[in-house]
Amino acid sequence: MSEQSKDVCDLNFAAEASNSEVHSSPGVSGGPSLPASQAAIFPGPESPPVGPTDAPLASPAPQAPSEEGDPKALQQAAEEGRAHQAPSAAQPGPAPPAPAQLVQKAHELMWYVLVKDQKRMIIWFPDMVKDVIGSYKKWCRSILRRTSLILARVFGLHLRLTSLHTMEFSLVKALEPEELDRVALSNRMPMTGLLLMILSLIYVKGRGARESAVWNVLRILGLRPWKKHSTFGDVRKLITEEFVQQNYLKYQRVPHVEPPEYEFFWGSRASREITKMQIMEFLARVFKKDPQAWPSRYREALEEARALREANPTAHCPRNSVSED
Amino acid sequence: MQGSTRRMGVMTDVHRRFLQLLMTHGVLEEWDVQRLQKHCYKVHDRTATVEKLEDFINNINSVLESLYIEIKKGVTEDDGRPIYALVNLATTSISKMASDFAENELDLFRKALELIIDSETGFASSTNILNLVDQLKGKKMRKKEAEHVLQKFVQNKWLIEKEGEFTLHGRAILEMEQYIRETYPDAVKVCTICHSLLIQGQSCETCGIRMHLPCVAKYFQSHSEPRCPHCNDYWPHEIPEVFDPEKEREASISKSNKRSLRSRQH
Repeated sequence: MSEQSKDVCDLNFAAEASNSEVHSSPGVSGGPSLPASQAAIFPGPESPPVGPTDAPLASPAPQAPSEEGDPKALQQAAEEGRAHQAPSAAQPGPAPPAPAQLVQKAHELMWYVLVKDQKRMIIWFPDMVKDVIGSYKKWCRSILRRTSLILARVFGLHLRLTSLHTMEFSLVKALEPEELDRVALSNRMPMTGLLLMILSLIYVKGRGARESAVWNVLRILGLRPWKKHSTFGDVRKLITEEFVQQNYLKYQRVPHVEPPEYEFFWGSRASREITKMQIMEFLARVFKKDPQAWPSRYREALEEARALREANPTAHCPRNSVSED
Repeated sequence: MQGSTRRMGVMTDVHRRFLQLLMTHGVLEEWDVQRLQKHCYKVHDRTATVEKLEDFINNINSVLESLYIEIKKGVTEDDGRPIYALVNLATTSISKMASDFAENELDLFRKALELIIDSETGFASSTNILNLVDQLKGKKMRKKEAEHVLQKFVQNKWLIEKEGEFTLHGRAILEMEQYIRETYPDAVKVCTICHSLLIQGQSCETCGIRMHLPCVAKYFQSHSEPRCPHCNDYWPHEIPEVFDPEKEREASISKSNKRSLRSRQH
């Protein structure tokens, strides 16, 4: 249980220039490093989900808060905690909403996060506030916390703040092993295969892959830039726009070349979500070779896997079976 | 921990993984759902017997109830295949799509939806939909762009296209039935047999009652002389076959064998 509150607490304490003791803090209620005021804000760790609410399902429509307020929401949430000790005259504020409403907001946020993840879209904190939390901004921490709890308990997923700088969250699987899922229903996730194909080409080359090279490879799959595919649709648009938009690929003009040519690189999201070992195994499957047939790349993959394991001994390492090799 | 109780369900890692994967895929056919269930057992609890799918899902749903979400089972309107999706019951709008599409795109969908619901056949022609692009909220959209957006809807399984006409995908019906019934209470059509929302179906030419194609198939299964359940007049349409999952599986196995020979990427 402290796993989840750790994630949400990261949100608070990171903004306050976190100290390392956060990671070992036992949990919300009773943690000695927590100022008492924060415990008051949180509705309590195991408060049972409100049963059949008679509150109408249509919650008070979230007013769109002022745009410039959103990026400051995180800071604000942190400030509140800090400033709450001092008698704050500057915050008349509305009365706190009924617990049922906070619970409902948490449910809405849970669904929102699940759908964003399903669509492989970035879960951005200001969007969360604008689209879901709305006027309940002041209680976003408790809402977030409850959402994280539900996601962990029901879905086995961790809502993690992956980057305080860009305020991005992601849903990380908390169950092991993870890799098998892709294999289980792999013929229903063609996008992953297509993407992996391109990423592994880039990886093996060790630098950007020219668009012409990518199409040479895709030709093996029967994909052509001018042909619409029954599953992928407009393949060129998919790889040059959608995958780029989702930050899985970067599509850039090659400098100093006429006529203009373009090349692909790994996007930031691919670097985060896909490990070198996954690429090696993908290559091994496709080419029916041992991953060690690419010795230098395989070495890199091993090193990356080791670094990941050391950095995150718990659930975050996506390639658990590496340790069993 | 393995409680297969009918009362309050118990969530184990088997159920959690199942939910994760169901959510990832959006909508799945029954055969895939069964495979998924078996996979989850294999990963987390090899020794346990795989619970019957219906009970397994009811178990999970009892936990999801307090969150206002549900694993809903539906049936495709054209050929009666069972499909499953995780659905948010608390929505009063097209919220699942809202994060995917721009304002004008969502409005295009709403316009198409209205045309589909109002139509006699459950289909709206591409032309009629595109003629409404001038009325869309948000950024101005050209017809060419609108064609593209309609294709996006098809790819994301919100619409089905048949010969230049569009109707709702089974997934859209599953996810939006509530929204549709609330938004268009007068225009909405309902199946006499199952009482669910009806978009495509057959209707009695005398009294006007309607039935889904799979409902027709089941209702008239062993009748040599099909008659309208309401007015008893002869049922004038061809009676479709009842969906048989076994035949379907054999067909898809031979199809995927051919496919896997070509593209070995998985």
